[in-house]
Amino acid sequence: MDNFSNLMDGFAIAFSFFHLALMAVGVLLGILVGVLPGLGAPNGVSLLLPLTFTMDPVSAIILLTSMYWGALFGGSTTSILFNIPGEPSSVATTFDGYPMAQQGHATHALTLAFMSAGFGAMFGVVVITVLSGWVTQFALKFSSPEYFAVFLLTFASFIGMGSGSAFKAIVSMMLGFAFATVGMDGISGNMRLTFGFSELVKGISFLVAVIGLFGLGELMQTMEEGLRFDGIHARIRVRDVFKAVASMPSHWMTLLRSSLIGCWMGITPGGPTAASFMSYGLAKRFSRRKEHFGKGEPAGVVAPETADHSAGTCAILPMLALGVPGSATAAVMMGGLMIWGLTPGPMLFIERPDFVWGTIASMYLGNVMAVVLVLATVPMFAAILRIPFSIIGPMIVVVCFIGAYTISGSRLDLWLALPFGILGYVFKKLGYPIAPMVLAMVLGDKAEDAFRQSMMMSKGSLAIFWNNSALVATIMSLAMLLLFWPMVSMIIRRLRGAEHGKRISA
Amino acid sequence: MRTTSGVLLTRLTMEVATALVTGLIGATVCYGSLEFGIGWGDAGPQPGYFPFYVGLIVIIASTVNLGFGIYHHRDRVEEFLTTEQGQRILAFFGPMFLFVLVSSFLGLYVGMILYLFSVMVFQGGYRLPKALAVSLITAIANYFLFEVWFKVPLLKGPLEALIGIH
Repeated sequence: MDNFSNLMDGFAIAFSFFHLALMAVGVLLGILVGVLPGLGAPNGVSLLLPLTFTMDPVSAIILLTSMYWGALFGGSTTSILFNIPGEPSSVATTFDGYPMAQQGHATHALTLAFMSAGFGAMFGVVVITVLSGWVTQFALKFSSPEYFAVFLLTFASFIGMGSGSAFKAIVSMMLGFAFATVGMDGISGNMRLTFGFSELVKGISFLVAVIGLFGLGELMQTMEEGLRFDGIHARIRVRDVFKAVASMPSHWMTLLRSSLIGCWMGITPGGPTAASFMSYGLAKRFSRRKEHFGKGEPAGVVAPETADHSAGTCAILPMLALGVPGSATAAVMMGGLMIWGLTPGPMLFIERPDFVWGTIASMYLGNVMAVVLVLATVPMFAAILRIPFSIIGPMIVVVCFIGAYTISGSRLDLWLALPFGILGYVFKKLGYPIAPMVLAMVLGDKAEDAFRQSMMMSKGSLAIFWNNSALVATIMSLAMLLLFWPMVSMIIRRLRGAEHGKRISA
Repeated sequence: MRTTSGVLLTRLTMEVATALVTGLIGATVCYGSLEFGIGWGDAGPQPGYFPFYVGLIVIIASTVNLGFGIYHHRDRVEEFLTTEQGQRILAFFGPMFLFVLVSSFLGLYVGMILYLFSVMVFQGGYRLPKALAVSLITAIANYFLFEVWFKVPLLKGPLEALIGIH
């Protein structure tokens, strides 16, 4: 029952007027960035991060996580009303959400989406609450080799489990590492890869990269397609809201299955996008109404939304407990944690229980608040998309560059955001994944330091990653398996294919 | 067969160009890390070790991508950008580039006023008073949000100094 009393302490921290107000502001800003194309959760959080540098870490994380919830909700709104996914993770919601809205069931679709998202998030937070107490038992076993092994596991899973080309994922991730090494080396004090530019001594901030890659890159893609909003008028009818809420229990199977998928994908770095697609696919496969999917089937809205949000919330746990973010947004938040002077990892649970449990408690409150606020404000936010894009587009650009400048007040960051924007646009069109680059930029320095400290401990022997403890050996082996998974699965497929071919020829 | 008229860039060109650029970045990283020793010292790797091999992996993976890119798209059927899309991108990127250029000399406030105003007038077809009002209100709102409430100063140039805003 330790967790329960910890959680109550957390509620005592989160339940203040100031923090509730921060949650409301965060959620509303989040819905805004979620609704606007080009601004999503990762760069919304990046833009807000510089404003939290002077805040208390608990207040800061409450603001940022609330923004994350808001952005997830905002993304679903545009998916349903405009057939434009505000977030990559709400693409699957458009499949059935938009047809429902076209048939005049916009309120029903929106309410279902928000309620199931709320359910998924709650499920996620409960899982986090239960698992958190357990994390601290690992805390004292963690030293440099274990940290490096966990980082390697994360990197390996991004390469091995990615859906696109593994070599493109490698290029993207390694470029992230290269950008992370620019500047002063934490161990030797040398100025690496600055090529004599004094502005580069402090390094390239991952925040500039996120703003460029996600913000400007996505805007360029939107512009290229010549943006047209074919919106459906959203008027929330109270009677429809209650009808939709009443129909929720009939989806219990989908809700449960999708929540579990979401939790799994959030804790392992599969991420919300993969979770929502997978959950949609499984809901369709197991449904008795298969042929209705894609034409406005309510379960087709419930499934991706539940998984999306439970993955989004669960991604916070590995970030806090291991320093391994489960999604791009969690990676940005983790960068924030380090800027506020906290070290993510199991020790955080022992040293700063107020921070950890305050955060977890705020996730309960923030999600309830998000469901209420998003239902109340949908018509207003939908109206924003009716402002012509020749006004909204440049305003988003201005916000992105203001965000880039406020990171450290440097002119260079304005110029760096541009090439990152081009990179993001080209990479996305050619199928290079972007999340690995952000992940590598956030974790690159830490991974390298952990590696080199391990080497100092072992006097240069790599064997430390296998014989330091059973824990490190397990993680390392798992990482190796994941890393070479594309190759392993290809060989298996070849073998099967060869056998198949033989049978046919014989 | 599909004609390639109206296609500005094929997927093949872009795959090749991107692989070459990432390979070049990899080579630059390798070159830059030679400065501090890329060997394996007494206490493990030297400072240049990590970046050097990171650069090397980038070069190798880029070469593979180059090969795959040429192989998969050798028929040049898939386009990357049509002429129309190219014009839209240019119409978006050009003003954005000028915004950054102007902002780095005259500050973000002047930059954003000029940027919003000209995009609204020349691309959105708005009338001058409306465009002026929107851009001025945006700048003032940002001033209060950042300088006054959050006390985060934005980049300012000589024009603000002239009218006494610091």
